[in-house]
Amino acid sequence: MTTRRPNLLASLIAWPLVLIIAFPLAWMLLTSIKPAAELFTRTPQWLPRSITFEHYTRVLTETPFLQYFGNSMILAISTTVLVILVSVLGAYSLVRFRYRGRETLAALVLFTYLLPSVVLISPLYLMLVKVGLANTLASLVAAYMSFALPYALWLLRSFMAGIPEDLESAAMVDGASRMGAFVDVVLPQALPGIISTALFTFILAWNEYLYALVLVNSDEARPLTTGVMNMLISAFNIEWSLLMAASVMMSIPLVILFAFFQRYLTSSFGAGGVKG
Amino acid sequence: MALIAPTILVLGAVIVYPLLSAIYLSFFSIYTPTLEGHFVGLANYRDLLGSGGFWSALVTTAIWTVGTLTLQILVGVGMALLLQQNILFRSLARGLVLFPYFLSTVVAVLVWRWLFNDLYGILNQMLMNAGIIAAPVNWLGAMPNAMLSIMVVGAWKFFPFVVIAVLARLQTIPESLYEAARIDGAGPVSRFFDVTLPQLRDVLTIVILLRTVWDFKEFDLIYLMTGGGPVNGTRTLPLIVYNQAFGLNQMGMAAAYAVSMMLVMLVFMLAYLRRANARSEADSAA
Amino acid sequence: MVQVVFEKVRKSFGATVAIPCLDLRIESGEFVSLLGPSGCGKTTTLRMLAGLEQTSSGSIRIGDRDVVDLAPAARDIAMVFQSYALYPHMTVAENICYPLKKRGVAKAERATKLADVAALLQLGPLLDRKPKQLSGGQQQRVALGRALVRDPSVFLLDEPLSNLDAALRAHMRAELIELHRRLGKTMVYVTHDQLEAMTMSTRIAVMRDGVLQQFAPPAEIYNHPANAFVAGFIGTPAMTLADGLLVREADKAIVRAGALAIDLPQALAASLPAATPSAITVGIRPEDVAVGAGPWAARVRLVEPIGHETIVFLDADGLSLTARVTGSAALHAGETVAFDLRRDRLHLFDKTDGRRLATVPSA
Repeated sequence: MTTRRPNLLASLIAWPLVLIIAFPLAWMLLTSIKPAAELFTRTPQWLPRSITFEHYTRVLTETPFLQYFGNSMILAISTTVLVILVSVLGAYSLVRFRYRGRETLAALVLFTYLLPSVVLISPLYLMLVKVGLANTLASLVAAYMSFALPYALWLLRSFMAGIPEDLESAAMVDGASRMGAFVDVVLPQALPGIISTALFTFILAWNEYLYALVLVNSDEARPLTTGVMNMLISAFNIEWSLLMAASVMMSIPLVILFAFFQRYLTSSFGAGGVKG
Repeated sequence: MALIAPTILVLGAVIVYPLLSAIYLSFFSIYTPTLEGHFVGLANYRDLLGSGGFWSALVTTAIWTVGTLTLQILVGVGMALLLQQNILFRSLARGLVLFPYFLSTVVAVLVWRWLFNDLYGILNQMLMNAGIIAAPVNWLGAMPNAMLSIMVVGAWKFFPFVVIAVLARLQTIPESLYEAARIDGAGPVSRFFDVTLPQLRDVLTIVILLRTVWDFKEFDLIYLMTGGGPVNGTRTLPLIVYNQAFGLNQMGMAAAYAVSMMLVMLVFMLAYLRRANARSEADSAA
Repeated sequence: MVQVVFEKVRKSFGATVAIPCLDLRIESGEFVSLLGPSGCGKTTTLRMLAGLEQTSSGSIRIGDRDVVDLAPAARDIAMVFQSYALYPHMTVAENICYPLKKRGVAKAERATKLADVAALLQLGPLLDRKPKQLSGGQQQRVALGRALVRDPSVFLLDEPLSNLDAALRAHMRAELIELHRRLGKTMVYVTHDQLEAMTMSTRIAVMRDGVLQQFAPPAEIYNHPANAFVAGFIGTPAMTLADGLLVREADKAIVRAGALAIDLPQALAASLPAATPSAITVGIRPEDVAVGAGPWAARVRLVEPIGHETIVFLDADGLSLTARVTGSAALHAGETVAFDLRRDRLHLFDKTDGRRLATVPSA
């Protein structure tokens, strides 16, 4: 591409659209810092007349929000670690080794990618009750594997397929065993892919709702998604200020990840899709 | 190879086994709280197919899917085209456009339900202030508003997926194709239809397939926005499955609905892929 | 000093047989090129030697060990890949030391060996760079360095020069020849470029469709090709090969090709086996066609001046010939010229299977 002068016409068309798209989130932020009284007016009040953080403090002190937050953290991190471990090995196996059933396995992975979670909730619920894990974070980690693992496998498979086999061949001639070549050569090369996959898995686990709804009933193990919605249902009056504050806080890890790792998150789309 | 063993184990445990169980369960009538049940054979399926609930839910799901998918594709491709240009603060624009996809559905729903709130939601207030409507509109509690609302929210949440996939593809289209078209006398509109769109065909085929499947099976968004209401107006198949299992406590019937839903999706996917393959073969033969 | 011996090696991929039966004995210290067109099996053969590909049957011996069941790391070989296969996340120094690390060589000794190799290949200033910061030629030298540092018994090189531009390739050819002379190690070199093979090798193994065509020193391959394929493959511009008829009259032998009737010299005729078929393929190299004077006439089809010589394409009554003329020839397309052939430099091949029928004893 030659020298890039900013395209003013495109900017004029694009930015209003971008602002419309970003508006709901901006509104969420604004609502969360307005005093409650300012919300209930008949005419639109764009900017807050005064800024308050009382809703944030109330959410943090008067609700189990922090417990939910902790649960979500443990849940997302555990899922991510487990998924990465299993899928890195699995993806490498799918890409490098030839064995019977490999193609069917790959097709199976693709199929599960498209499977509706609703189909699995009943049997998973039964299975976890039987194993005695119902109502625990562990049950959620197990359930989350059902959609996180196929996705991670698919992504990592594409990343690893792009690593030239010559590198491992060279390593093996140089004296490494097959696993040695994997650790010394493949892993460092696949690192961007692994980071992308880890980020996506974290976000998927952080945002998941249905399984959390079905499998967990007590505040001890409840993550943020069902926890925050619970606060909506149990309250008599829907306290929008609180909900908006909770929403903002719930999204903070996502904003941080997205801001710093946007490149990783969007590069993986070339390699595969994301669970909707 | 042993490397694949953990994968097979996990997938077997959390997908294959439950999937087979679901099919197995669908032949039983099971009371959810006690998990006791008895064999009923195909009775679940007979009731399901004859109930009318299944068929109307199928139609509802189809309407929702087509509606939100159309919006996702149109807005997605449009935004991708815009973001492809060198606009001011492009990375920031990209970030803002893509972010809804990474939000939790819970947050998205809360925000939009607040926006749609009849008395205090900013949407009604803006529209009334602008004189477009006279009285507050009930966005979520009346049809067809509810369906349109969830389509819009679904589009807002999921269109970034289209943007990213299309944008990635746009960036690989060689500049020389456009240059050749320009020399041949094609204006910007022709260049879009004659150069850009054909190049996007492959990516769009996949994107449409994936998004159709994912929108079809979407539970969280609709359940949280409208709960399936008003009066089942937005009750899609995934919602019925949940309702059967945990509302009506009929786990076997829920499984039957789920299996039926999967069959519908399977039929669609096969038909879609066959048509897509046939078309691409015709192209290469031409 | 180690020889490399392939004995009845067979390789098939599923139902396709890539290499039916390979017998090849490479003596210690030789520089052997595996030469042939794409798909002839040369890279497969090299990879089987390296252990990156399994043989379907047969044995491969390096020295006195049968290595067929040994992992690449255990075969005491080093390999330079066509793509160089430098580890992108490691520096040049780390790349070169990697094989030493894998063998548990102590840090101090690693540093010494690294310094030796770096000096030999002039890699000193590059040691802290990453591969992507290097030019093609530099990367190639690093790949060589990584192979040299371990001082293995056998060096394997898989078309290492094919990614370089012409000038660099010529330079690296000379460097490799010098390296081989200095080290005296057994080297097995895969290439599709006959110029490389001809200039660098002690012997060339010409392969086609998985079958060894000829295994001989370059001069012999050039002057006494074992079959029509080898004859046509080696030499630029290629040897003219044409259909011919062998006619024996009394004590003479005549080859008819096109409208030409060529009397074979006594020596050549005498070396023909008694039961020679009459349908043959006759070949003559461009430098053995003399343009300007001679018993035959041909029309000039095309003239290609190269500077120090000119390539002339002739048509003589249905027979297309290529000729080489030193310097620039005052010839134009469409002209008719007289020409002669060095009849003692004719190559005769059986038309059905291509094998050589007669050979003139080397001078």
